[in-house]
Amino acid sequence: MNMASYRQVLFWDAKANATGMVMKTSWSGLRALEYCAEKTGCHLEVVAYGGLPAKWRKYKGRQFLMAGLLFFIVGLYVLSSFVWVVDVEGNERLSKEELLSSCAEWGLRPGAWKAHVDTETITKQLLSSFADISWVSVSIQGTDATIQLAETIEKTEMIDKETPQDIVAEKDGVILQITAQRGTPLVQAGDVVKAGDVLISSEIQVGVEGEEIHSEYVAAQGSVMARTWQNMTEELPLQYTEKVLQGEVQKNRIWIWNDKKLDIIKPNMTGDFETKVISQKPLSLGDFRFPILLQTEQYQPYITQPKTRTVEQAKKELEQICNQKAKQTLQQNETIEQIEMKYEVYTDCVRAICKATLSEEIAKIQRKGQDAIYEPNGTNITTGE
Amino acid sequence: MALGRQVAETLHLPKEVVLHLPLISMVGQEELTIENHKGLMEYSTEMIRIATGIGSLKICGSSLELKQMSADCIVVKGRVDSLEFLR
Repeated sequence: MNMASYRQVLFWDAKANATGMVMKTSWSGLRALEYCAEKTGCHLEVVAYGGLPAKWRKYKGRQFLMAGLLFFIVGLYVLSSFVWVVDVEGNERLSKEELLSSCAEWGLRPGAWKAHVDTETITKQLLSSFADISWVSVSIQGTDATIQLAETIEKTEMIDKETPQDIVAEKDGVILQITAQRGTPLVQAGDVVKAGDVLISSEIQVGVEGEEIHSEYVAAQGSVMARTWQNMTEELPLQYTEKVLQGEVQKNRIWIWNDKKLDIIKPNMTGDFETKVISQKPLSLGDFRFPILLQTEQYQPYITQPKTRTVEQAKKELEQICNQKAKQTLQQNETIEQIEMKYEVYTDCVRAICKATLSEEIAKIQRKGQDAIYEPNGTNITTGE
Repeated sequence: MALGRQVAETLHLPKEVVLHLPLISMVGQEELTIENHKGLMEYSTEMIRIATGIGSLKICGSSLELKQMSADCIVVKGRVDSLEFLR
């Protein structure tokens, strides 16, 4: 053993047994040990071969195993050449979805080939496209791409109080309530106004005791609620067709990768059928999510049947439609006061003429030579008699 | 040797290199590494003797095993009870 060690032979796990020593050594060390054993008159016996070279010699004849190993190595290399996960860190005001969709446009998305992703260009694009980003770094580690960013300090909202502007009526109506934060209110509750009439003037009278009162112009601000009227005409036919669901419901699974869909086993569907997406789940292995979605769809066959509605039924449906349409135009704090319905009955249809009385905001900012919609936000309320 | 020791101390050179002394390090009682050895003299599971530049080093213990051996270093594994230098 000393002779071998002087000849730079490394051996390990040496154990004494009844007749000699058992030890492990390298392939090249075995040759030196053979020489040492011959010189010292020891008997050398190879108990077993182990390690990677021995395993290679053992398995290199197995073609399918070698092919599998090669396939595994190539597969590992190919799969690790894609970006699988894109993550965003440091965003507070900017939405993750917005950043990810922009990055996807520039080539950084789950499923993108790593060699085709130019992180420097994406960094520059992000900086130029998002004014709220002060610093950004795009890095790819393994198969994960990380966008780290720092946002700029939020700008305080600047309210222009200097440029003169009037509050005018957006629609015809009867004033219910007027709230002037800045400017001079020219109307009061109960007044009838037309679209374009000035409701809160930008002109205010300024002057202290002993001085001449003079006019100054400000940016008028306030809110004006008014009763307005909306006219609608709707029509419903008395004869119509309706879908009747019948037959066996069938399910189908579709693999989605980026925008590409792979539908391997399609159910054999004939005739008309309704398609409904039941679920859409990403393919995952533990916490790791692949950029592949498994979409489950349900197909429900149906037939169309001719149907008839009575005049009364048509009137009810028309009232509901008008009510819904009037509600769609309303914003917060705005209400429908009344709905008047008039019907014209024809042989094949019913026509409804609807007049909805609404309580809504009609304030609109009007600058010199410009128009802008104004969001009301008043606190000082003045009401007329 | 005295000159070599003086040089090593003055120049702050590692003594095990200059004076060819064994460098012995232990991990608790379970592993012992001897560098700068001069060969294995005796080997059993209870006792190992290793030749060094300052005589032989006798390691006594139980389940002693030569974990690794090369021209520069010997690593002994097992339960080490005592170390003794024999001149």
